[in-house]
Amino acid sequence: MKKIKKQDIAKLLSQWQKDFTVFVPSKESGTAEMAVWDGKDAGFLDWYRNTVVPPKANFLQNMEKLFGFRKEGGSFKLETPPPETRKQLIFGIRPCDARAIAIIDMVFKDAYEDKYYLSRRQNSLLIGMGCVKPYDSCFCTSLGLGPAEAADVDIMLTDTGDEYLIEEITAKGKELLAKTSGAETASQTDENKAVAVKQAAYNKVTRKIDTKQIKQRLPDAFENKEFWEGVSAKCVSCGICTFLCPTCYCFDINDEMLKGDGARYRNWDSCSFPVYTKMPAENPREEKWKRVRQKVNHKYDFYPRLFNVIACTGCGRCIRQCPVNWDITQTLSGLPAGAPVTEKK
Amino acid sequence: MTQEPNFEPKILGFLCRWCSYAGADLAGTSRKKYPANIRIIKIPCSGRIDPLLIIRALRNGFDGVLVSGCHPGDCHYQTGNYRARRRIAITKKFLEYMGIEPERLQASWVSASEGGKFAEVVAEITADLKKLGPNRLFNDK
Amino acid sequence: MTSKIEQKLRSVARELLEQGKVGTIVGYEAGSLKFTNTPLITKDKEAADRLVINPFIINNLSVFLKDIGGKVGVVAKGCDIRSIVSLIQDKQLARENVVIIGVPCAGIIDLDKIEKLMGKDRDELDDIVRENDKVIVTVQRSKKEYPAKDVLIDSCLACDQPKIKEYDILLDEEATVVCDDEASRSLIKKLEAMPPAQRWEFWKSQFERCIRCYACRQVCPACYCKRCFVEETEPAWISPLPKWQDNLIFQVTRMMHVAGRCTDCGACERACPVGIPLHSLSKKMAEIVQELFEYQAGTDKDALPLMAAYESKEAEDLIR
Repeated sequence: MKKIKKQDIAKLLSQWQKDFTVFVPSKESGTAEMAVWDGKDAGFLDWYRNTVVPPKANFLQNMEKLFGFRKEGGSFKLETPPPETRKQLIFGIRPCDARAIAIIDMVFKDAYEDKYYLSRRQNSLLIGMGCVKPYDSCFCTSLGLGPAEAADVDIMLTDTGDEYLIEEITAKGKELLAKTSGAETASQTDENKAVAVKQAAYNKVTRKIDTKQIKQRLPDAFENKEFWEGVSAKCVSCGICTFLCPTCYCFDINDEMLKGDGARYRNWDSCSFPVYTKMPAENPREEKWKRVRQKVNHKYDFYPRLFNVIACTGCGRCIRQCPVNWDITQTLSGLPAGAPVTEKK
Repeated sequence: MTQEPNFEPKILGFLCRWCSYAGADLAGTSRKKYPANIRIIKIPCSGRIDPLLIIRALRNGFDGVLVSGCHPGDCHYQTGNYRARRRIAITKKFLEYMGIEPERLQASWVSASEGGKFAEVVAEITADLKKLGPNRLFNDK
Repeated sequence: MTSKIEQKLRSVARELLEQGKVGTIVGYEAGSLKFTNTPLITKDKEAADRLVINPFIINNLSVFLKDIGGKVGVVAKGCDIRSIVSLIQDKQLARENVVIIGVPCAGIIDLDKIEKLMGKDRDELDDIVRENDKVIVTVQRSKKEYPAKDVLIDSCLACDQPKIKEYDILLDEEATVVCDDEASRSLIKKLEAMPPAQRWEFWKSQFERCIRCYACRQVCPACYCKRCFVEETEPAWISPLPKWQDNLIFQVTRMMHVAGRCTDCGACERACPVGIPLHSLSKKMAEIVQELFEYQAGTDKDALPLMAAYESKEAEDLIR
């Protein structure tokens, strides 16, 4: 294991910048997101707890051109963009967001091979950074991970005060670190320090949910209109919780045509919007309670049935960013016990 | 503002079918000369104008938009042009605040008998927009 | 600790439900995060005991009214009441179906401003207390004092209607409002001083980060259209893709559509997850409407809505 002084982080980044587009947490645009490093310093370390826009945006862009088309004579000529070959390095990704990408992989990599997503995924390196100050909205420890989880990154950093302990997790990470200068070998004391930091961070995550109970109660509550109407009453049906969710991957497909030149794009879509399920004759989720039910069930019931994993990593963005403080953990904890409710006519 | 010697502005005209559209017709049948820079869309009443139509025309590359309806008091539907007037005034001021030059949104009252006025209006706004230069507001960097 | 005004609110709400004067109460209860409240929409009289009032009641609850059937009792600050009045003017709501429980409001505290001043996130702060024209923030037993006008929400600084006129029940006397219109329009002033091209560049850069979550529209009481123009597909008035051009057109058109109904309550700016300064659009719009037509949204329930009314002579100087 290696370590590096905090003031030397910029030196690491500038080495990596030669081979990668380096993304770091940034507020430059006006909101916290992963943005291309400006090459100056690592000032983000002072404020960074997590970004508002999750790093899923680096893989599943909020708007992505699938192909272009041009009218030529009587027909259209298609232009497929070449696969993404630029290498990106995402520095400082939090364990919850890294796990979220592993969860999205199941849809875009395992269930179906999406070349747009995969070309980005294959050309990416994730440098994880354990949390030392989880938010009061975080609940990752209830979902099989924690603020120091390193399973989904290539290299993991742990903040030990003035230094970061560096762990190589994957072969890719090992390879990168071998080429990188500036990191020293860590001592046993450093490693012990990191263990203590990780434990302390784990204990700071106080928001809890009971996934066993949820697994039991959620399917039973499916037809419980009264329950879902109650919990959804204050939802305003905006797209914040889904767009900013690191595991939400729903998209829409749209064509755009200007002056004979056109393109097909895919862009983020949200099951919170009534139009999401609108079809010519009917809309199965016109009512708000059905949309809220869908969102919760997709994460905590449907996804586990398909892929054996809950599609939520407890990052807490949906709680923090919600304009009305709709809290998924309260909904889940409030699931009624007892016999399944069947639909009342 | 960049001066472009050969710049011919493209103007989208939304003309009320009861007055200005007939006014434009009259300009033509009376052989009045006016610049060919305007493309006309016939609308049922100037009250039909939604700010969205104006800004969308600019988004799609028009250099200027003209909304023209009946003189106050002459609306075929009694009050459509009064409502249009409020909307146009707000739109003009607000777009100006966003940073869109006010010359890009023009409005006029032209009756069915004012073929001459229509020709003058088109000539004036064409000259204004020539001075202002092309609309590059919505271009990507 | 329950304040006097909260006690009064709870008993009022309980009574309204018990006596069947309303079927539903819409108010605020403590949220699940620090300094955060959440809307409480309930038919249960026992839930009335969870109602709270504090300087963090940021939501404009009038947005919920049109979807709740029957008679509704709503906890409303001065600006929320203007939204309710505006809905009544637009015939979206019948006056007799709402029981307005007026809350004197001395301004809502802007947690983003406090976070910036303190260099800390809200969950790292221990306490925030409003005392007249001061706000005192406590972190680990050390106290920091700020003038209220530095930490109130921009829209609140422009509040010139602290006196509640339209109500059924008033919970307390007038609250002291810290008015500072200059501070409220500081960004507007900065923008107005710029040449148009620079202003355009500014707004362009703001809308580049819009993610089109439509939270601004969803929390807006004035945005009550059953189907918004952005969701129309035939014709598709604007592209649903989050390109800055269309993001900007969406917001500018939205602002123009709510002109005369928007009370500049600031709910859209507070909801925006990417921090687009929407108050500097809505306030400007309110100023334009005032300047051109001497109209102020939501101040007279019997007045014709701005866009339904006209004078025979007005705004003629803008038309050839």
